[in-house]
Amino acid sequence: MLQLLKRYRELILVAALLVVPLGVYFARARRPAERSALDRAVVWATAPVEKAVSWTITGALRAWNGYLALHGAEERAVALSREVNSLLVERQELLQDRAEVERLRRLLAFARAAPGRSYVGAKVVGVELSPSGLQLLVIDRGEEDGVTRMKPVITADGVVGRVHTATAHGAEVLLITDRSSSVAVQVDRSRTRGNVRGLGRPEMCKLDYALRAEDMADGDLLVTSGTDGVFPRGLPVGKVTQLKKSGNGLFQDAMVAPAVDVTRVEEVLVVSGWETRTSEIGPASPAARGRP
Amino acid sequence: MKPLVHILFALLLSALQASLLRWAGGGAFSLLLPVACVVYLAIHAGNVDGSVGAAGVGYVMDLTTGTTKGLMTFLAVAAFLVVRVVQSSVDVRGRVGFAALTGLTTFLVSFGALTLTLVASPSEVAPGIRLLPRMLVEAALTGALSPLVLEGMKRLDGLFRHEETGLLR
Repeated sequence: MLQLLKRYRELILVAALLVVPLGVYFARARRPAERSALDRAVVWATAPVEKAVSWTITGALRAWNGYLALHGAEERAVALSREVNSLLVERQELLQDRAEVERLRRLLAFARAAPGRSYVGAKVVGVELSPSGLQLLVIDRGEEDGVTRMKPVITADGVVGRVHTATAHGAEVLLITDRSSSVAVQVDRSRTRGNVRGLGRPEMCKLDYALRAEDMADGDLLVTSGTDGVFPRGLPVGKVTQLKKSGNGLFQDAMVAPAVDVTRVEEVLVVSGWETRTSEIGPASPAARGRP
Repeated sequence: MKPLVHILFALLLSALQASLLRWAGGGAFSLLLPVACVVYLAIHAGNVDGSVGAAGVGYVMDLTTGTTKGLMTFLAVAAFLVVRVVQSSVDVRGRVGFAALTGLTTFLVSFGALTLTLVASPSEVAPGIRLLPRMLVEAALTGALSPLVLEGMKRLDGLFRHEETGLLR
């Protein structure tokens, strides 16, 4: 028997190595069992190896991605930086375009609200806000576009000034803040009349000839009265501020904050003609045509 | 001692394979690199140490692949015997031959595992024949990588080879 075992020991060993695992498999397949202590020990021993291999592969990948794969990254960064700068400029242009569209939309809405007037749209191409008092804007429309001397210049916010001189393709606009500018106004609320005179400062004008007894208060809106023959009636000019009612004298003393910030105007409307009502004098009216 | 070193090498291969699959495949494909060890043992080792080594490698595969215990051990020993039979009639030389034999053996091991699982498991949880394309990919990839395992196993065997100095050849 022993000799037989010795003789066929290799065969028996191989057969055992085949049969035992197969038996274990079928036994475990029907009744799954937990891992044995030996299994756990082997898995436990494997874990550091797996960690080490994983660490090595991760390190190699990091080295690749962090150093070798960065070849050419500087060129890409420079190209991307250029692209970003270009996009920033483009964005700025788009923002400006959007703001312009918004302003033009307001101007258009304003023009449509008064169908009795005709306008010439113009862009501001020059500004002269001298500390000495001269307050001028230069616009890109002139006599060939119907822009002539003394025509009112406005925006959707209110009165800007009037055309001072006009050439074929351009014109100078005397702002209401100029020292030599004067606009006939009335208080929108109480119809109290007065005159807005420029002080040579873009942020402030002076209210003249408002009678002391008349109804006027700080914050009152002043609109054009149309009696000066230059501006149509009802255009906003500014708001009354720093009103002082003295005990004596004929007139009230007040300042006017212009309705239009003349330092920021970019597009304007030149009023080329308008229908007048009975108390208003304008270029389109027969009264205006008869003026010198 | 030698079978133990082979088993440890299979353990290292399994760890390497797990890391590789994690980083490269992400579960899209699989490998059975320890099968290359079994093929090597079938070609180069003796009956006893080869079969014991193959069983050890199978045991490692059982643990690392998460199959029911005994399945891969049985299949590894069976693969060892099959390759031994094949090797007796076909002389496998070179890396290409080894890769082809490893690929074929890997497919047989996978197919055997599928068949035994179908036999032993309830039909609702048993894997279907739809795994066949995946098994073919696994066999091809394992065969392609097997020359590296061959080199590793050769180096390990070189550690146990003692040449007598002064012997004329």
